[in-house]
Amino acid sequence: MDMDDMDMDIPLPEELELLESNSHFPEQNQEEEDHHYYFADLDPPTEPHSPQPPPDLPAPSLEIESNGHKRSRPSSPPEEKRTKVRVAVEEDSSTAAADEDWLRYSPPLPEPSAQETTFPKEKTLSRFASEIDGECMPISAPNGDRVYAKLNRFEGEERVKNLDCNSYSAELSSEPINVILERLEQEAFAKALEASSEGQSVPDVPEAQTVHERLWVDKYAPNSFTELLSDEQTNREVLLWLKQWDSVVFGSEIRSTSDDVLSALKRHSSTVHNKKPLNSKFPGKNGGPKWSNGGRYINSTRMDESGSSKRIQDVRNMKSRNIGPPEQKILLLCGPPGLGKTTLAHVAARHCGYHVVEINASDDRSTSTIEAKILDVVQMNSVLSDSRPKCLVVDEIDGALGDGKGAVEVLLKMISAERKPDAGKQSLSKGQLEKKASKKGSKTASLSRPVICICNDLYAPALRPLRQLANAHDFTNNIAYVLALAPCMLTGNNSHQPSPPPYTNLFFRLLGRLTYICNKEGMKASAIALTALAEYTVIRVLRKFSSIHDSSSESPPSMGLLRVTFDDAEEMYHLQQSEGGVKAPVTYGKKLWLQACGIKCLFSAEAGLQGIPWAVVAECLFSVKRGISLISFQKHLRINNLTQSFDIGSQVVGQKDKSKNVLDIWKEIFYKRRTKKMERNSQRGKSFEFDSLYSLVSNRGDSDLILDGIHENVLRLNYHDPMMQKTVKCFNNLGVYDLLHQYIMHTQQMPLYVYLPLVPITVHQIVSQVQKPNIEWPKSHQRYRTMMMEKMDILNTWHHKIPPQIARHLSTSSFVEDLISPLLHILSPPTIRPVALQLLSDKEKNDLTQLVSKMVSYAITYKTVKSDILPQTLKCEVADGLTLSLVPPISDFINFKDYTSNHYVLSVAMKQILVHEVEKRRILQVGIDKTGALANGGHGVIETGTNKIPLPKTNYTTAVDMKTNENQVNVVARQLNTNPTIVSSNLNTDKSSSATNSGKLLNTGNMKKPTRSSSSFFDR
Amino acid sequence: MLWVDKHRPKVLDHVMVHTEIAHNLKKLVKEEDCPHLLFYGPSGSGKKTLIMALLRQMFGPSAEKVKVENRTWKVDAGSRSLDLELTTLSSANHIEISPSDAGFQDRYVVQEVIKEMAKNRPIDTKGKKVFKVLVLNDVDKLSREAQHSLRRTMEKYSAYCRLILCCNSSSRVTEAIRSRCLNVRINAPTEEQIVEVLELIGKKEGLQLPPGFAARIAEKSNRNLRRAILSFETCRVQQYPFTSKQEISPMDWEEYISEIASDIMKEQSPKRLFQVRGKLYDLLINCIPPEIILKRLLRELLRKLDAELKHEVCHWAAYYEHRMRLGQKSIFHIEAFVAKFMSIYKSFLIATFG
Repeated sequence: MDMDDMDMDIPLPEELELLESNSHFPEQNQEEEDHHYYFADLDPPTEPHSPQPPPDLPAPSLEIESNGHKRSRPSSPPEEKRTKVRVAVEEDSSTAAADEDWLRYSPPLPEPSAQETTFPKEKTLSRFASEIDGECMPISAPNGDRVYAKLNRFEGEERVKNLDCNSYSAELSSEPINVILERLEQEAFAKALEASSEGQSVPDVPEAQTVHERLWVDKYAPNSFTELLSDEQTNREVLLWLKQWDSVVFGSEIRSTSDDVLSALKRHSSTVHNKKPLNSKFPGKNGGPKWSNGGRYINSTRMDESGSSKRIQDVRNMKSRNIGPPEQKILLLCGPPGLGKTTLAHVAARHCGYHVVEINASDDRSTSTIEAKILDVVQMNSVLSDSRPKCLVVDEIDGALGDGKGAVEVLLKMISAERKPDAGKQSLSKGQLEKKASKKGSKTASLSRPVICICNDLYAPALRPLRQLANAHDFTNNIAYVLALAPCMLTGNNSHQPSPPPYTNLFFRLLGRLTYICNKEGMKASAIALTALAEYTVIRVLRKFSSIHDSSSESPPSMGLLRVTFDDAEEMYHLQQSEGGVKAPVTYGKKLWLQACGIKCLFSAEAGLQGIPWAVVAECLFSVKRGISLISFQKHLRINNLTQSFDIGSQVVGQKDKSKNVLDIWKEIFYKRRTKKMERNSQRGKSFEFDSLYSLVSNRGDSDLILDGIHENVLRLNYHDPMMQKTVKCFNNLGVYDLLHQYIMHTQQMPLYVYLPLVPITVHQIVSQVQKPNIEWPKSHQRYRTMMMEKMDILNTWHHKIPPQIARHLSTSSFVEDLISPLLHILSPPTIRPVALQLLSDKEKNDLTQLVSKMVSYAITYKTVKSDILPQTLKCEVADGLTLSLVPPISDFINFKDYTSNHYVLSVAMKQILVHEVEKRRILQVGIDKTGALANGGHGVIETGTNKIPLPKTNYTTAVDMKTNENQVNVVARQLNTNPTIVSSNLNTDKSSSATNSGKLLNTGNMKKPTRSSSSFFDR
Repeated sequence: MLWVDKHRPKVLDHVMVHTEIAHNLKKLVKEEDCPHLLFYGPSGSGKKTLIMALLRQMFGPSAEKVKVENRTWKVDAGSRSLDLELTTLSSANHIEISPSDAGFQDRYVVQEVIKEMAKNRPIDTKGKKVFKVLVLNDVDKLSREAQHSLRRTMEKYSAYCRLILCCNSSSRVTEAIRSRCLNVRINAPTEEQIVEVLELIGKKEGLQLPPGFAARIAEKSNRNLRRAILSFETCRVQQYPFTSKQEISPMDWEEYISEIASDIMKEQSPKRLFQVRGKLYDLLINCIPPEIILKRLLRELLRKLDAELKHEVCHWAAYYEHRMRLGQKSIFHIEAFVAKFMSIYKSFLIATFG
């Protein structure tokens, strides 16, 4: 339909359609409330036709009128908004298929077009203005010609007709609409299916080439109080609180304004309950709120109208009694982001005639600056152009701890400063301490202007003091039931939900707003898509708008973007065509599309699932909408479960924290509830199970621990699994979890965390048992981690201790893989006899010295340890509870459970000998290193000397000796005089040590020499 | 000294296994046209030995005079400054580090060390040996970021400093770095080469080798020269003179894995899987890399498996190993493989024997 934005009151066709498709919600709602518009013959929802119009149904002529509106709507100049223009232009081509649906189910319409509509008889349309008598207006025909159309005015009847129109549309929405909805949806699916099976027709995608100068979030942000989407009771209370300041701020002007506001309030609340002409709440582009229009809504009487009006009456009474500022001077709005807190504060303040000054996180928030600012706002009256009093909005007051405190402190100081002087002056009946300070009187810094603070987390530590003073207005209460929406719709689990209507209202208001935006932007959005969008993000009003607007930069799981949706859908079609897969319906938004991409990418990151066809993805998307909770795929992953979270993921966020003990969660996972067979098989039962588990797991948070618990306990369960298939599935799922977790960590795609709880759910579906499981706390993985770290530490320190000439060739991993096992063999040769050194044969002595040199070069020795940690694998000989074991404890590295190695272990006596020898060798070596180092300085002189000394380890000295001669000639000269003494002392120590060691050292040294020389010989 | 270290060739001329590579390296040094080098190959094939010999060829014997140092670097990383501690092995002309020890801050290590080397550029009046050498171990364990930061540094300071990179698998070194280096693949020595080396060692040690004995060791060694020499020495310690039927003691962890494999073959049930898990944990605790466990396990299982299942089992092993590398908790994936194997094997048993 090529329709301009006429400021008409009748809902546009698309909106009507939309309304119909969604009105099963209001219907439920209304049924509950026993709406008196309902007639018995309209109630059965299965009956598509309601042949008998109710007795007081508007006359046929009115239907014609609206029909006329529907079918023909040429453009009309916007300046004539207030005039009812009806031009009959034949435009047959523009009726959409959906319209026909609508027509089919609408009450029977009289065929002949009535006389009121000026039809062919007189000239209504002409190329020339002169041919039309009476008023006429220029319009552009579809082919671009300028034509003149006759204007027909119905001034006298206008009001009545409007009313009738209204009631007519009210009657429309009370149609058995769920049938229509179902059919519509069916058709949409059928269409999509058809399209996907054919794979050829790309749906015409409206070109969206509008240049947008502003984000839609800003563009369509509510400007007036009545446009607010947030919970109306909260809105009203905020307004009420602000109004209480009137006496202080505005003095006597209170009466008139408040009357206005109150009536507006009243109207507002009634429209909210009316929820039929959704778009009419939003004013046109160039108009403010049109409440003169809206006035007619008042007379639609409602059951709860009386309640709300009574409330308002109370407010009025209270107001008239109250002459001071409210008892609580600060309003604290809390709630999760995107609810419209800031908007509410701004709009409400503006509505009450304040000039809003906002301080938010981006501003400087040190105590001094903020104090100046607050004082400025609160105490000064602006004398500049804007003479309105100011209202301070401190946004994100909970922000960073340090920053937030500044503002809180200042506010607190001002409140308490004001209390003291006022305390005795006057006291309120409630026993409250504070009373308003008179506008001019107080010298101390006091609050004489309303201050609204906004935070996300009411319980942030920075806010604690403020919380007691401020009128804490908790959005979360509302959130609790707003958020519980989808799960409770599915499962009927609404224990903590006071009443559905607030949600439903919100939902419809949101839907209306979306529709409105779509219309404004000239986009064609199907009802289903919009509903889906609204459903996904009931609360995230703000964010959704931004994502509709332009979210290609946003992270995938954020909501979809309507405009791009269509482009993307097209893209998806192309992709599918190229891959020959099934097509997903276009109506699913960008969000789903992105999710699908996400899924695909995720799984294609994985080995076995590389070629997930789009068909599968599309299929999953389908299944979400249909509410099918279980379809098994040929692949190893239960993608259907993943897709389920589309519905749930966004909504769980703000649910009341119901987190449970982890043990309980594990029990829940492994325990299958005994349910009635019927229920278990039904979708309902399954989705209930799914939802409760999902919220359980996701509320708990540390999915790592949960998974560890599952891993630890799953094999202890008693499930029937003869072919191990269930076990394989379980472990595959654990693997998927691991991959996902790692992927999230690696790419920092935190939103993907939504999917993690699905793994436990799948495991639950596979192995859950009716009998109570015995849960054990998962220790083994933790134990494994710590022990491995310990052992790694041992290896690393060992690695560092080994002299670099050897260590550089080894890595810590090669220690375990290659080195340790043979080394243990080598270090404990069975041939060595534990006898005194003197009794050994030459060959044995040679072996011993080699063994000692090996131990020294690998930095291994024996140490006495308490035998309570008896290495079982090594057949140790225990001596009085003390054993000598290797240090570093490399024998532990082959100490496996239930494993006996055939390593020979030396006797204690032998070990003692070795300890002794190793010690000796070490001491010697230190000395050698010293001499070696010095020898390097002036090696020309000393080399001969060192060679004369019987050295057990010539290798080191030779290695050390080798040095280029080039640039050391001058050094030699300098050191020549210091060398002799050192050499002599060196010789002395060597001699003394060799003497004390009963000549053994000399032996070893001598015996070492041949092998040493031989090796160096072979080296060449 | 173990024979491994004792008989390690110190100069390029003495290298026995990769003689051709050694020859080429020598030529590179001689022509003083040494590019950045990337040595890669399996462990125990002689990468480090070659690198050391190369260094000696470049700088003479002074290259072997190394000292260990625990050094700290102060790094300015944007807003904060980090203190990095790392063990280095350095001689007058080269520095050797394993930057992957620094964890995720390895990037800074690489940059800092190279910059510092560039600052203290050794001056030689003859215009010779003007560059230092930086040996980086385990480059494949370097993070992506570190590798990316390395490539620019590598080019910028190439006049002052040559890099010798050493890793097991070049596939985890980014293409950018590989293309900046002369890649030297050090393959595992063949069994004949191992036998040759063992015989030479035997000769040096003055031992009598019965015929075929060295071949048996080589066969058991998995073409890992270090392991071959170590088990050779083990044999020497356990029994000398050698007999040709002498038992060659296996690696303990390999023995343990074959025990696990026989456990798996005996019974396939969740209970058994639970027992196997305990053993797997034991292996992991002892720092045996999970990939190696999986590989070895597969090998042990294949040994006892029916031929027609082998292909499938191999496929699944590869599948789970891939997943293991993508993931973090290796035990999940190893167990998943065991479960899968059990499932396959059991259904096979039932199909064949009813």
